[in-house]
Amino acid sequence: MKGLLLKDWYMTIKYCRAYLFLTVVFCALSFMSPENLFLVFYPGLLCGMLPVNLLAYDERSKWLQYCDTLPYTRAQIVSGKYLIGLFAQLAILLIMGAVHAIRMSIDGIFYPGEFLSMMMGLLMLSLIASSISLPFMFKLGVEKGRLAYLIMVGVISGGSVVMANILSTKATASTNLASVLPILCLVGASIYALSWYLSVVFFRRREL
Amino acid sequence: MNALEIKNLSISFRGFHLDSINLTLPCGCIMGLIGENGAGKTTTIKLILNMLYRNSGTVTLFGQDNREGIQLLKEDIGVVMDEAGIPECLNAHQVGKIMRHTFRQWDGEEYARLLERFSLPRSKAFKDFSRGMKMKLGIAIAMSHNAKLLLLDEPTSGLDPVVRDEVVEMLHDFTRDERHAILISSHIVSDLEKLCDYVAFLHQGKLMLCEEKDALLSAYGIIHCTVAELRELELRSILHTKVTPYGVEAIVLRENIPDTFKISPISIEELFVFMVKEAR
Repeated sequence: MKGLLLKDWYMTIKYCRAYLFLTVVFCALSFMSPENLFLVFYPGLLCGMLPVNLLAYDERSKWLQYCDTLPYTRAQIVSGKYLIGLFAQLAILLIMGAVHAIRMSIDGIFYPGEFLSMMMGLLMLSLIASSISLPFMFKLGVEKGRLAYLIMVGVISGGSVVMANILSTKATASTNLASVLPILCLVGASIYALSWYLSVVFFRRREL
Repeated sequence: MNALEIKNLSISFRGFHLDSINLTLPCGCIMGLIGENGAGKTTTIKLILNMLYRNSGTVTLFGQDNREGIQLLKEDIGVVMDEAGIPECLNAHQVGKIMRHTFRQWDGEEYARLLERFSLPRSKAFKDFSRGMKMKLGIAIAMSHNAKLLLLDEPTSGLDPVVRDEVVEMLHDFTRDERHAILISSHIVSDLEKLCDYVAFLHQGKLMLCEEKDALLSAYGIIHCTVAELRELELRSILHTKVTPYGVEAIVLRENIPDTFKISPISIEELFVFMVKEAR
């Protein structure tokens, strides 16, 4: 599977530089308005599109058919996309989180426990977004699956605003997050795992 | 040992039906799969690689059912599809690195040698390659991981005659090793005629014929004669006739033709065209 990841890495460098640019822009914006968690969360959410974009390029170049002739299983092809999505979202959230943490420290409101909880919550939320979109892509192909994803981005973005409001209530945040976070992590990880499983099942049945 | 055995292989999808195919490709041999567009050549190759769900039948690769451990079996198979399938932004150097992490027996030196032989640039993006260059890269990959079986779907299309000849020569060299075998489909029947030990004709999902090439060429021939001369022959010896202003041209079974007739050799292409027309 190392070959698949390497190929996706080359393609990410070539095609997905816009994500890096957006991350820099959102870093600056979130530094200027630290109260708006959506600015921290949004680049990570966008990164959920990375596996989808890579899949689109794969379909266009007929890589998926060719890859099926190589010694890879369909499960490995799916897993590669989930891993690259996970790594990308982690990396973006780390960058955004670091910038946000610096700003919070300057303002004297940085509480590590609360901050970590918040970042984990945001990661889970962005993973849920890509979890819901990817099975559609693997079942229907990118063209039809992309529509399903765009609907999801709308829903999740709305959800993130609600979450930001909850998190901004400082008095209750530490208590609420402490109790909700393990459940949120478990739900997020389970949804991601279930999504991977569904994608594998769908992709195994798909005729390439 | 047989590199490939196909028994009663059938599949139906989207109005297409591949009907009970039987093929055997011994090691050390090259088999040409000849058929029109949509005859079922690519489908057959995909079924060999277990990329499609079949309705019935078995495919055995080096004595092993291809539904069991196909991932390992693919280590021994080099594939070139009619579209190379390499992402457009990659260059030959990057493709080599990817394949090094894909095949256990990847031979980087052989790959470099083939890139050199085919005059393929290492740093040019795949999207800037001509169709011929794309096919050459596909062939270089297929031949750089010590594969024992090559499955080639139209590998020579888009190549200029000089490179085509070079590829044909390379494929010949490949089967000098008795453990190797090649299944190759092509529209360019003249290439297959030069290359193959066996030929299989596919037409609308049906296998019309699978024979040793030399046996076919020695069994059939073409005669040029008058209509009156043709009437002297046994009907069962005449497979096909074409009346022209200059006389009659007929495809015949050599064994029943009297010595008084001059029999010209028939080409695989002529035989294929005749059989397809008959089937229609």
